[in-house]
Amino acid sequence: MDGLLVGVDLCDEYTQINCPEEEMLWTIPTVICRNKNADEWYVGEEAYGHTLKGDGIIVDKLLNLAMRDGTATLGEVRYGGKELLLLFLERILKLPQKEYDKTKVDRVVFTVKRLDPKTNRMLREMGVKLGLLEEQVQVISHSESFIYYTLSQKKEIWNNTVGMFDLAEAGLRYYEMKVQRGMKKVTVVAEYEDREEGFSLDILKTGSGSRLADRIMTSCAEKIMARKAYSAVFLTGKGFAEQNWADGLMKFLCSKRRVYMEQGLLARGAACRAEEEPGDNTSFTCICDGRLKTTVSMNVLHRGQENNVTVAAAGDCWYDRVSVIDVIPDKQSTVDFIVTSLDSKKKRLISIPLEGFPKRPDKTTRVRIQVLFLDERTMEVTLKDRGFGELFPASDAQIRQEVML
Amino acid sequence: MSLLLCRQEHVKRPYFMEPMGIHLYSSQELSYVIFNHPMLVLDDFVDERLLTFLREELNQGFLALKLERWLKSGESPDEALMIILQECDYYSMSEVGRFRQMAAALRKKHPADFMRMKADELFSLGQYGRAVKLYKELLDYPPGDHVDDLFFARIWNNLGSCYARMFQLDKAFKAYENAYKKNQQEIILERLYDLSRIDNRLALNPELQSEITEKQQKLWEDKLIRARQKARDSRQVKELETLFQQDSVKRRAGETELICQWKQEYRNMA
Repeated sequence: MDGLLVGVDLCDEYTQINCPEEEMLWTIPTVICRNKNADEWYVGEEAYGHTLKGDGIIVDKLLNLAMRDGTATLGEVRYGGKELLLLFLERILKLPQKEYDKTKVDRVVFTVKRLDPKTNRMLREMGVKLGLLEEQVQVISHSESFIYYTLSQKKEIWNNTVGMFDLAEAGLRYYEMKVQRGMKKVTVVAEYEDREEGFSLDILKTGSGSRLADRIMTSCAEKIMARKAYSAVFLTGKGFAEQNWADGLMKFLCSKRRVYMEQGLLARGAACRAEEEPGDNTSFTCICDGRLKTTVSMNVLHRGQENNVTVAAAGDCWYDRVSVIDVIPDKQSTVDFIVTSLDSKKKRLISIPLEGFPKRPDKTTRVRIQVLFLDERTMEVTLKDRGFGELFPASDAQIRQEVML
Repeated sequence: MSLLLCRQEHVKRPYFMEPMGIHLYSSQELSYVIFNHPMLVLDDFVDERLLTFLREELNQGFLALKLERWLKSGESPDEALMIILQECDYYSMSEVGRFRQMAAALRKKHPADFMRMKADELFSLGQYGRAVKLYKELLDYPPGDHVDDLFFARIWNNLGSCYARMFQLDKAFKAYENAYKKNQQEIILERLYDLSRIDNRLALNPELQSEITEKQQKLWEDKLIRARQKARDSRQVKELETLFQQDSVKRRAGETELICQWKQEYRNMA
């Protein structure tokens, strides 16, 4: 590969860009501005500059605008949120291209705070509009970025629990990651919690405000981290761009723990992910926001032997996982799924009866099973009668069922 | 109780199963036909056309090669069918064993019986034209221990039923007459009576007419009335009536579609 690999942390407040193994980090406010007098567009700080100068109209919170299919009127022209976000992305992706003198982009990994199928689809479509192939665009959660960034560090950093505080204008989020060494494969589990202790970063501009913020954060850290062994703690987000306001917090955190302040950690994590070929069998199973926490399988007969076929495995991205299998029931009037939790001890049998399917001789109904996920805890199963060729033509019988995992 | 995992078979050119008038799209359908219709596959079924289908459409090159070698070896061609059943993995080993026994039992049948069973199978599949061809061949069989009057009566009767289902009522009438000459069964006389009532060009000769009692005639008339009523009440007739009530454009479109369908059905059976 000779093109660029890019990690993009796309937030409403600002967007950060990093390329693998490069120190350079771009932090660009997620805003776009159109010149009042010409068809010229500016992004980030330049957009603020033109707005202050009075010759431009600015639009902010571009991700949110695009996600809710909103519009903005600039110079008597109404633009769709998606259109504006695309213009923004087109411009910011030129920054690393220019810096590293590469016009070709091989892969872009977007990392977002809230990952859902709509965001995934929208950003992938935008990638295609930017001239990339769909498989060259990936969308991951911040939790996954955190995992990838941490695992790219030395082992002593992640051999125990790793914590991370992300303090931004939008709020405070705490992430925690653990590496579980199993018999077959290492499993990395990351979770997050949106904390109520978040505050406006403007208070950091005054002495009393800073002291209050320090007390809030110290108390929060004490509550979360009590009686837990950490191998490292990361501090990221705009709130930690300066740490001189957080003496108390630093004193508490730095006791028997490694503490790192890392701006752009999530973009760097996305860049680490961009280094990985999609579909590569990684050395670890990643369990986090956007990934399944359970394995769904089926027992099927193949060559006279009963085999367990995995429909979706723990660690698969739920939002773009679609499995399609054709089976023929043999003296069986149900389709059964086995749901196995991460610890592999708890197994649950989900049985879906083939109600409404035509009565036919045994083994003459082909059932198409389609499994997809509405979120990490909800599986949607569709069973469709495919008949048995011209011998027993297919009917319209179809069963759609949501299964809570 | 289990679920069989289906192989991914992207068949673009299905295999036309001529004796059944259907196309086969998968190895499972092929296995099903072999297992359930042995009479149709025991003779010359495994040929170059089937091997091409296995090789090019089902991606079963290995199986095709195995069959090719088997056929060249001059061993029992029936065994080639077992090889297909085993390799396609649709039937269990015990089921394949059962098929082997069934095939062996069929092979022990008298050739005339074997051919009659094949013709009967075609009849049950609605392939009347193909069945007629075999029944006619059977009528040329020299009479013997096995091929006696009862045997011929059965063949004439089945031949009559084939013609009747193809609406060739005059031929059906003659076939039933021949069947009745051989066995004088009441059921055949009833069929002759029914045909004479359905088509006024067909008349029972005085000899046959004299054999029908008043009681029989009344009973058969009642049955005919009930059958006609049942036909009038059938879903197909109701659908036809609904079609005739529609406006001329819709009606014409529906009629065209229906006639095409009937023609296709008739071509398949004849």
